[in-house]
Amino acid sequence: MTEMSTFGSRPLALAGKELKVFFRDPQMLFFSLALPLVLVLLMTAAFGGQSRFSVTARVVDLDGGPLAAELTGRLEAVPGVTVDLLDPETAERLLEDSDIVNLVVIGEEFSERLAAGQAPDIRVRLRGNGDTEGQIVNSYVESIVREMLGESLVARQVQAMLAEAGLEVPVEEVEARVGELFAETRESPLVTVAEETVGVRPEPIAQFLPGMVTMFTLFAISLTSVSLVEERRKGTLERLMTTTLTRAELLSGTWLGNFGRGLVQVVFLFGLAWLFFNVLTLSSFASIILFGVVAVASVAGIGLVIAAVSRTPEQANWIAVFFTMIMTSLGGSFFDTSGFTGVMGVLTRMTYNFWANDGFRRIILEGEALTSPPIVKDMVVLAGIGLAGWALALALFRLRGDDK
Amino acid sequence: MEVRDLRKVFNGTTAVDGVSFTINRGEIFGLLGPNGAGKTTTIRMMSTTLPMTSGDVVIGGHSVRERPGEVRRLIGVCPQEIALYLELSALDNLVFFGRMEGLSKAEAVRRARANLELVGLAERARHRVAKFSGGMKRRVNLAVSLMNRPELLFLDEPTVGVDPQSRNHIFDTIEGLRDEGMTILYTTHYMEEADRLCDRIAIMDNGRVVALDSPRNLKASIGDPDEVTLEDVFLNLTGRRLRDQG
Ligand SMILES: Nc1ncnc2c1ncn2[C@@H]1O[C@H](COP(=O)(O)OP(=O)(O)OP(=O)(O)O)[C@@H](O)[C@H]1O
Ligand SMILES: [Mg+2]
Repeated sequence: MTEMSTFGSRPLALAGKELKVFFRDPQMLFFSLALPLVLVLLMTAAFGGQSRFSVTARVVDLDGGPLAAELTGRLEAVPGVTVDLLDPETAERLLEDSDIVNLVVIGEEFSERLAAGQAPDIRVRLRGNGDTEGQIVNSYVESIVREMLGESLVARQVQAMLAEAGLEVPVEEVEARVGELFAETRESPLVTVAEETVGVRPEPIAQFLPGMVTMFTLFAISLTSVSLVEERRKGTLERLMTTTLTRAELLSGTWLGNFGRGLVQVVFLFGLAWLFFNVLTLSSFASIILFGVVAVASVAGIGLVIAAVSRTPEQANWIAVFFTMIMTSLGGSFFDTSGFTGVMGVLTRMTYNFWANDGFRRIILEGEALTSPPIVKDMVVLAGIGLAGWALALALFRLRGDDK
Repeated sequence: MEVRDLRKVFNGTTAVDGVSFTINRGEIFGLLGPNGAGKTTTIRMMSTTLPMTSGDVVIGGHSVRERPGEVRRLIGVCPQEIALYLELSALDNLVFFGRMEGLSKAEAVRRARANLELVGLAERARHRVAKFSGGMKRRVNLAVSLMNRPELLFLDEPTVGVDPQSRNHIFDTIEGLRDEGMTILYTTHYMEEADRLCDRIAIMDNGRVVALDSPRNLKASIGDPDEVTLEDVFLNLTGRRLRDQG
């Protein structure tokens, strides 16, 4: 048949049309790209607080002097530390009630003694042993005070030396100059301790993103499978029936369109995660996209089946929603189901979501490579699901009455 | 092209009941009849999209029943409903359907531009079809069916809901196509359209062809052809007025 020569160009044209329609459909763009992003951000905001490093330093300032203010200022400047200034009575009551277990008390003579180069007047009060947060705060306070005392002593020493050399420079001026120098070294330290994170920190967004991506790729693709059924009603499918387009070409084109849309979602959502949320390195981003290609190929096959079995758009819609919900909750898009055993263990493994979630999570949370055996297994199963979908759709879908 | 005893039964109701006629190369053949007469059903069977209950259609020597694939190369269909992607531009629609006919992208774009020129929408090529008026959509609908340069063109009520200006544009286009040698099957329930355009007319009612001849001969059969109208012919044949249902 001479038509065989054009196979390949027609599915591409079909997929191109699908993508064009997709990018012009605000509703589809909302459901495919904006909604999952919003949900991930909401979930991160709601459940993500605990695992990020942040401590609160409760401080009572009895001194009220400039150096006490300097101390709280520097404490506040430490990343992850927030200063909560309390009045003495409130602090006492909170401590009494164990509402707080750690309190930094800046004594009345703090500024005066520090300026004189004497051991400063500062106490830390703990309820019981305090807690990790308290210990962190205390060590920050300790090192800041040590630093300030050092600056004060240096200023004093310098002034004494200048005086010996017969140069009368006011102590404030010396202090100011020394303070500046110390501030400069703090800004650009000559010695730094290199901080290195192994793999990528499990930010909360990394926990929710895989589940959302699998849920919404499935959701969007099952929603768009409605479009092929709608084409029957709109008459565009009948119009296609009078062209020389074959059923296999139509299915390939539809699959390719599904695939393209799914890939847009995967790249968009993981791309944002990589660029703005610091949960992926360049190489793990590359891995997750490659894994995503297989996952999306699989879900595109599922979309094809929905399109093939639905007779009316209503039916397709219904199947799409029902199917997405079942697959998503069984397949662990909301919670990890990899520990399920028995019937549930079997059911969860029958979903696309399970295998896709597993791979995405391994890459984003554990930093595993694409070649690691569990991920290879995920990809093999996903490819299998995709192929089965293809075969099923080919068996079920009739473009024309004369299709055999 | 020849239609032989074509019949279609939709679970119990007979929509097309033994229709036979031949269409000569290069003529505009009218299929005329009231709503529900079976015009669209006949066209759908002829254009390979609806399986026939019995009978056959032969187009360009190929049986629709036996070799629908060969037939599809020869025909273009402008359906009664607007069958377009409204989100896409007129040009994108034409190019897409052209590619589905197997044209290369460049060739599809070339023909799409030519066809839009033909239906007078060249300046609107890049506008979304959704924003078009009813008449403009009809013209795009027609332009799409010309993408494969068909030898036989089916036009199913191409002027429904179209203002006189668009209607005249469509008539001019159709006459132009006939002059280039295209064979056209045209359905309508507007008698004066059929009278103006068609070389021969089959009048359908209740799934049957009740008369078949040139408009002039049809009129002459009941009186002075310059005095009577096809409307009178229909009334005479069926005892009903054509426009009763719309
Ligand atoms: N898919 C279908 N299923 C059942 N009955 C149908 C179907 N399509 C058409 N019919 C019936 O067949 C008859 C002929 O319909 P058809 O659409 O061919 O008429 P038509 O001449 O094109 O009318 P109109 O001028 O309204 O377009 C009608 O009674 C219609 O109800
Ligand atoms: Mg009709």
